[in-house]
Amino acid sequence: MTAGTAAHERERIRADIGQRVRRWPRSPVFYGIVVGALAVIVGEYLGVSPPAAYGLCSACHGRDLADWIINHTEGKNLFVTGAGVGWPVLTVVGLVVGSFVAARRNGEFSSINLGANVRQFGFGAVVMGAALFVGGCPTRIIIRTGYGDLAGLIALFGVAAGIVMATLSMRWVARR
Amino acid sequence: MIVSISSLALGVIVGYLGQRSRMCSIGGVRDYVLVRDTGLLKGAAALLVTSWVGFGIVRLISGSDIGHGLIAAGTTPSGVGAVVAILVGAIVLGVFATLSGACPLRQHVLAGQGRIGAWAFLAGFYLAAVVYTSWISPSIGSWVL
Repeated sequence: MTAGTAAHERERIRADIGQRVRRWPRSPVFYGIVVGALAVIVGEYLGVSPPAAYGLCSACHGRDLADWIINHTEGKNLFVTGAGVGWPVLTVVGLVVGSFVAARRNGEFSSINLGANVRQFGFGAVVMGAALFVGGCPTRIIIRTGYGDLAGLIALFGVAAGIVMATLSMRWVARR
Repeated sequence: MIVSISSLALGVIVGYLGQRSRMCSIGGVRDYVLVRDTGLLKGAAALLVTSWVGFGIVRLISGSDIGHGLIAAGTTPSGVGAVVAILVGAIVLGVFATLSGACPLRQHVLAGQGRIGAWAFLAGFYLAAVVYTSWISPSIGSWVL
C-alpha cells in the first residue's frame, strides 16, 4: 500500500466520522443526554436554583418571565420563584430563538396555519394551569423524577396515563 | 445577571436541538401507543437517566445527603389528598397536551419554526400563567412548587 492510498483512506474515514457527528443532533437520544446534563449543570451551578431541579422548564420559566414583566411594569406583586426575582429567567425566549435559528439554517422555516387556533388558545390555557398545579411542564417532571422527587414520579405516571387516555380516545373518534 | 445569561443560552441550545430532533416529551408515549414507534420514548428515557446520573454526580461532588433512600428530602406529598390532586392535575395536563398536539416545550419550538397554532397556544399559555398566579393560586394554595 502506498502512502497516497493510506492518506486517501484516512481522509475517507475522517469524512465518514464527520458525517456521523453531523447527524447526531437529529437523534432524540442525543437530545436527551445533552439536555439532561445541561439542565443539571445550569440548575445546580449557574444560578437557576432556589427550587431544586429547576434547570429547564417551559411552564415555570414562562410563568416567572410573565410575572416578572407584570411586576416591573404594573407594580404588582405576583409570585416569582427565587431564581427569577432579580434578573428574569429567559429560557422561553431562548427556546423560540434557537428553534428559529435551526429552522432558518436548515431551510425548514415556513409559516403554516393548520387552523383551529382558538382551540389551541384554550388548550394552552388549560395546559398552563395544570402544569403550574403539578409543578412543571412534562420535561421538568422528567428532570424532577431524575432528581429523586416523589411528587414528580407520581406526576410522571399521571401524565403518561393522560397521554394514553387521550391517544386512545382520539384513535377511537377517528375510527368511528 | 448570571441567571438571565445561563437560562438564555440553555434555551437557545435546547431550542436548536429540539428543532433538529423533533423531540417532544409527550410524543414518546403517544407514538408508542399509536404506531409502536420508540424513537421519542428513547429520548425521554435518555433525559430521565441522564438527569438521574447527573444529580447523583452532583451529590457525590458536594457531599450532600440524598435524603432517605432514593427519594430526595422534602418532596414527599403530604397525604392521600395531595397524591390524588397531583395525579388528577397530571392527567389533565397529559390529556390536553396530547389534544393540542405537543408538549409545551415542543410548542415553543414549533412557534419558532413558524406554526401559527403554536403562537395561539403560547398566547393562551402566558395569559393563563398570569391568571393562575393572580387569582387561582392564592385561593387553592400549592402542594408542590
